[in-house]
Amino acid sequence: MALDYFILAFLSSLGVYQIASVHAKLDGLCFFRQPVVQYIFGILAIIGAFGWFFTSEERNIHTTIEGAQQLGLFLGSIVASWVFTNILASIMQAKVNSQGSTPREGKQYDMGIETLKKTTLFGGISSSLKKERKDKV
Amino acid sequence: MPPLAGWTLWITGFVGKAPALDSVMRLLCNDYFLPLTICLIMLILWLGQQDRIKRNHIQRAIMDASVAIGISTLVVALINSFWNPWPRPFLVDDPIIRESARYAAQTIFYFPTDPSFPSNGATIAFAAATGVWFGNRKAGAVVFVLATLWAVARFYAGIHFFVDVAGGAVVGILTALFISKVFMPQIEPLPTWTMKLCRLLYLA
Repeated sequence: MALDYFILAFLSSLGVYQIASVHAKLDGLCFFRQPVVQYIFGILAIIGAFGWFFTSEERNIHTTIEGAQQLGLFLGSIVASWVFTNILASIMQAKVNSQGSTPREGKQYDMGIETLKKTTLFGGISSSLKKERKDKV
Repeated sequence: MPPLAGWTLWITGFVGKAPALDSVMRLLCNDYFLPLTICLIMLILWLGQQDRIKRNHIQRAIMDASVAIGISTLVVALINSFWNPWPRPFLVDDPIIRESARYAAQTIFYFPTDPSFPSNGATIAFAAATGVWFGNRKAGAVVFVLATLWAVARFYAGIHFFVDVAGGAVVGILTALFISKVFMPQIEPLPTWTMKLCRLLYLA
């Protein structure tokens, strides 16, 4: 049950990240270039995860997942999903950019997820590291 | 027996009469469905704002709501450790209420073993709704609706008396009000540092 719940939260938060990135224009989180495709992917991920979880087994049973454990599993899954989203988006966008499409806007030094409006997570980390090195010199 | 115990007999009387309603209630009172839905709403609010200032505002509200959920759970545990005023509806002495609630719980949910008052689910759901309300009125209203559905479903399933879910809602709302308006401003700059740390880790 704990693993099933982790998978449910992981997949549905993956969908949430895609939908949220359309709203907030966080291009660095996007798997797809077209917002409509991203939206559909997000909704399908959420509906698919909930559909699978609630139809695969009887879920109204007295299990051992207590509130605190449920919270821990949820937090673990959203962090894992966040890391997975960032890695996949970085790989996909690096691939697209290397194929000669318009590169993402150059270096910028925003903090936090604001960075993801212009670059991927790893692009942001690398540009802030470069800036730090430049500042030291 | 709590006040308004007779309402349990009335609401559990509907169980088994409309299979479609029972199926909806089975989903709504589930331990994972509405809690996860509320958490996902909080997650989309955390990330989904384009404007940086508005995003900061809502992220603070979501952080307050998360703290309120944690603290309200502790408040429920504290209440339960000192006061356990009545058993679950399916365990009361009155045979009519007991049998009706027993049938409802068996059909819709299962037989929980923790104390009846206050409803833990209602407490955390209303704490989350109140916290979200301070960041975004529309989303807060949606979460209030979900919290109410959760509370009604658990009352329908015969696992709580009306007073349990109403008491849980009051505890949740008051805890969230205290956290958002008194506690979090008092512990500044800790919340600000937490937000800065989240920003440093690309989480906010």
